Amino acid sequence: MNTNITLVNETEDLPGDFAIWIFILAEMLVFGVMFIVYAFARSNQIDVFNTSQLTLSRGLGTLNTIILITSSYFVVRSVSAIKSNNSKQSAHWLIGTILMGGMFVAVKLWEFNQKFSAGITLETNDFYMFYLTLTFFHLMHVLMGMIILACIVYKLKNGVYSAQEHFGVETGASFWHMVDLLWIILFPLIYIIR
Amino acid sequence: MNTQLNRFATLIWLTLVMLTIGTFLIGEEVSAGKTVMLSVLVISLIKGQLIANYFMGLRYVGWLWRGVILGYFVIVGSMIAIAYLN
Repeated sequence: MNTNITLVNETEDLPGDFAIWIFILAEMLVFGVMFIVYAFARSNQIDVFNTSQLTLSRGLGTLNTIILITSSYFVVRSVSAIKSNNSKQSAHWLIGTILMGGMFVAVKLWEFNQKFSAGITLETNDFYMFYLTLTFFHLMHVLMGMIILACIVYKLKNGVYSAQEHFGVETGASFWHMVDLLWIILFPLIYIIR
Repeated sequence: MNTQLNRFATLIWLTLVMLTIGTFLIGEEVSAGKTVMLSVLVISLIKGQLIANYFMGLRYVGWLWRGVILGYFVIVGSMIAIAYLN
């Protein structure tokens, strides 16, 4: 028997802190329940939901989806860079992500402003209540993600992270991808299907 | 090695952008209907899997976490579909 043969575990540990994954699951669960509640609330007032949904800009919703997907790609590149011990490049990709996050926020605020200018509030009807609540709640997560990534950029600039020690970068990256994952359902639910 | 991984990530990003544009076109060109709703939900499931497995890196972790995210999309997507089909 060849004793030199070692069993290689092909799987890796979860990227980042395990606690962030518990947080991610909890957040996804809360959003998941809200998505399902939206869908069932709609089935009681299909006309109200369909008519109101058509007042939303699918173009802006799509633009924000592409912005978020691109920001997620930038995060992947940032993690890849720090794994190659290039903290400067890693920080640059994260700054790009934060800028993308800023663009997402700007588009969303523009949309909110249009709706508020048209006199639409939480009380207008159930569709707008869900639209404003769900997208605002998601927007708060984008802002939180931007703050987390800004802290990581600060640490990257101070040489805290390296190819050996990049746990924090992966933790922030996982949070940002979660924000993207939630939007992947939120976008078609609110803007597209009717 | 990293260059290869970066190229792969770029490919995933392009696929995600194309799927998003596809979703937009479905929303613009087709007014409504069960097929549209189901197609869009399936596209979301595919996008979610691409992000979870290749951007979040779950492809290289154990099957449990991949299963959790896949299960999430299947359960939430199915519940939405049931509500829309009612």
